[in-house]
Amino acid sequence: MAKSYILEILAVVAILAFCGVFLFTSSTLKGAEFAGSDNVGSGMIAELSGKPVESFAPLIPQWEPPSGEVESCLFALQSAIGGICVGGVFGYWLGQKKSMSETKANQ
Amino acid sequence: MHIMEGFLPWQWCIVWWLIALPCLAFGVWRLKKIIDADREALPLLGVTGGFIFILSSLKLPSVTGSCSHPTGTGLSAICFGPWITSVICGIVLLFQALFLAHGGLSVLGANIVSMGIVGPLVGYAIYRLLKDTSVNIYLTVFLATALADMFTYVTTSLELALAYPAEVGGVASSFVLFLAIFAITQVPLAIVEGIVLALVFKYIVALKPDILIRMKIFSEKQINEARGEA
Repeated sequence: MAKSYILEILAVVAILAFCGVFLFTSSTLKGAEFAGSDNVGSGMIAELSGKPVESFAPLIPQWEPPSGEVESCLFALQSAIGGICVGGVFGYWLGQKKSMSETKANQ
Repeated sequence: MHIMEGFLPWQWCIVWWLIALPCLAFGVWRLKKIIDADREALPLLGVTGGFIFILSSLKLPSVTGSCSHPTGTGLSAICFGPWITSVICGIVLLFQALFLAHGGLSVLGANIVSMGIVGPLVGYAIYRLLKDTSVNIYLTVFLATALADMFTYVTTSLELALAYPAEVGGVASSFVLFLAIFAITQVPLAIVEGIVLALVFKYIVALKPDILIRMKIFSEKQINEARGEA
């Protein structure tokens, strides 16, 4: 029984450990802002090139979400699109499997 | 793994675009061929592509005190190869460049090379290497997806290091600096991503084993063994 759910158990343990590590670092690590590593990388670029971060203007003008709320809304939209694809297909497969076993049973 | 718009000199933007474009074109051609050959491949593409959409939108905090996101590309690389994965990544990265100001149009080429080409290529290579050995298929999926994720960030570091060599030590020493930012943050995320995608693969094996066998992703014997033990 336990053996057949080994991947599920591992996934739960890994996610819990991940949360635990986050709680630990966020309470002990001083100066941890949990900013995106993209931005930390940009800071490093500025440091290496000796130019301030503000001097890096976009080469191609781009639209920026006006606030963090709008940004998180669009990110949620992105994962919702993915979630619909995944859920839809798994449902389709499940239905396919069920109708196949029903036709077999009727024959 | 996004290089931000404006943070890559235009010469490098062109170089990465020139590498990315032929891969994308080949990916579109492969995609058309696979869909024409087998309509049942389309739902599988939906699942693997869907996970790229979901996972690349999750910004997770990590041990270094900064946030980063998993890529989710490994599953698609295993099922469809690296080139079709490049196309899906191109769509995701375009969405993020246009609407989220994560990355941008000029650096899109560089970001496609790291997330859509090198990462999936590494994942696919590992899968091919382990496919016909006695290694458990879920372990294969774990290793392929986790390392596809890791190498995406290693590539980003290399792209930045090439464009911004340090005054002392040149490309090598700035590569180490960027690795410290991107790769170390990514290690725990890659491990969790690998386990989660291996679990997803288990459900694909349980629900639709015939498509995996027909597309020769794993042999019938391996799938049956996995179903027996799972």
